[in-house]
Amino acid sequence: MSSANAAPQPFLIEVRDLKKSYENGTIEALRGVSLGIAAGDFLAITGASGSGKSTLLHLLGGLDVATEGSVLFRGQPLGTTHNGAATLDLDTYRARYAGFIFQSFHLLPALTALENVQVPLLGHGGDRHANREEKARALLVELGLEHRLRQYPTQLSAGERQRVAIARSLIHDPQVLLADEPTGNLDSVNSAKILEILAQIQQRHGTTLIMVTHDLNIAATAHRHVAMRDGRICN
Amino acid sequence: MRLSFVGFAWRNVWRRRLRTALTLCGIGMGIGAFVALVGFSRSFEHAWLEMYESAGTDLAVVQKTFLNTSVDQDVAVTLGKIPQIATAAPMIFNMMAVTPEVNTLVYGWKADTFEFSALNILSGRHFREGQQEALLGELLAGSLNKKVGDTIDLQGSSFTVVGIYRSNSALESGAIILPLDEMQNLSGMTGKVSAFHLQLKPAPPGISPDQWRQQAEDAVEKQLPGLRAIPAAERASNNQLVVLAHAAAWGTSLIALLVAALGIANTMAMSVFERTKEIGVLRAMGWSRGRIMFLILIEASALGAAGGLVGILLGWGALHALAMLPQTASIVAAGLPVMTLVEGLAMAALVGVLAGSIPAWRGAQLSPVEALRHE
Repeated sequence: MSSANAAPQPFLIEVRDLKKSYENGTIEALRGVSLGIAAGDFLAITGASGSGKSTLLHLLGGLDVATEGSVLFRGQPLGTTHNGAATLDLDTYRARYAGFIFQSFHLLPALTALENVQVPLLGHGGDRHANREEKARALLVELGLEHRLRQYPTQLSAGERQRVAIARSLIHDPQVLLADEPTGNLDSVNSAKILEILAQIQQRHGTTLIMVTHDLNIAATAHRHVAMRDGRICN
Repeated sequence: MRLSFVGFAWRNVWRRRLRTALTLCGIGMGIGAFVALVGFSRSFEHAWLEMYESAGTDLAVVQKTFLNTSVDQDVAVTLGKIPQIATAAPMIFNMMAVTPEVNTLVYGWKADTFEFSALNILSGRHFREGQQEALLGELLAGSLNKKVGDTIDLQGSSFTVVGIYRSNSALESGAIILPLDEMQNLSGMTGKVSAFHLQLKPAPPGISPDQWRQQAEDAVEKQLPGLRAIPAAERASNNQLVVLAHAAAWGTSLIALLVAALGIANTMAMSVFERTKEIGVLRAMGWSRGRIMFLILIEASALGAAGGLVGILLGWGALHALAMLPQTASIVAAGLPVMTLVEGLAMAALVGVLAGSIPAWRGAQLSPVEALRHE
């Protein structure tokens, strides 16, 4: 049921005039980016190398802090300082609300697929996640890896590694999934498979998906597409 | 398999087996040196204590401050008048090289001293005062291949072995006992002794043994200025040989432990550097700086503790070897003192934590983005 005068849905993530510079301001990676991302959105960020798309993703994921401007998650600023307002600690944000998928998978070589998926939950101390193994197993089964649970990353194909990395990013039920060129190291068959999996996760769980890619065909599968050039949004 | 935090730390340590094994060897050598040397000095001290206790010595009268103590033999008269004292036995002890390979303790005792009560004469008889006669502990007799009737050359004088004895104390079983007057002549201590060993009378009703012993100590200090009476345990730990053994053992061990700590620090620093990207991944997954630091410290202490176990085995083996060598058999028992074992393990874990703290701090300070970009 809808209502004509219902209050507008607030953004899950809102970016306000975000700037990021390096080396005492001599390199400006972001030059004032403002953006709103609703819950359940699927956003693709494209741009050439050096356009600032990965920097924006890092700031959206709380991996880095902005030089100026702010990132708000559910209306709460991320980081440690924001004009005295209550902020959401970056570690807490990443641990509870954000999940990451990297181009190079970044699985830990000493651990099996099943163990790799559990690693995010080990970061919280104590034993609050008594069922973490069962949860990790269920995710891997869901991603078609039930026969690869005990394999180490070197024993897996690239596509399988990325599926393990996806399972790892989902183990703590994040509200936002951030993917940095998730198909960049995959062949076309595996790329298609990974994109299909991400789309299914986004639809099934209502997870907000933010994906950086340089491939416009891949970006076309997203709900929204933001193109970047020289540290600014250009579309 | 359900992954635990400690299991994760252990995987990180174990994945580079060769480096871990080499580091464990380094720590093992350090802790092994600590266990062997400190265990040796403790064993030495324990042998002294055992000797005093088995002989029934309650107190020893020595100089107040000198470790290498020398007491006038005449004070026996004053000691004899102190009502708490039953017997005061003058004695001398010193180290002597009986052969180029074998060093041993040599005692000078009176023929009628109560300290003989702890010895079991296996063959021969007691010595007579004023005669160049000697009693040999069975350990020493074995290593010198001496039997009753043989002679032994000490300081240019020939002594006849008149008896072979057994003692509960390894120290005593590897020693020579000479008549006090002969020992005084040999060591240039005419009219002097190293100490008086006292046996006290039983405490009278209404006075506890501790109070009785304290009264005896006070009486000695009052009537013999410059001297003091100390319990057997204190005498065991305060004699010059034990003090020197402890100092040498701790000094050498600390150097060995420092080398072990540097080994762990180097291993952990290398490990953190090589795993920079992985640390970035963990940070991206929400691991806090404190959690990263804790992980690296757990890894360092696991290395320390495992190295400690290796070291304890090495140290225990070294003590066994020392207990079998003729040069040291008389002053070291093969057993590993429990305190040394506990200290060795604690020391290993502490060295691990301290050596791992700087790499852990550096690892925790890594920015997630910079760590992920690390090549």
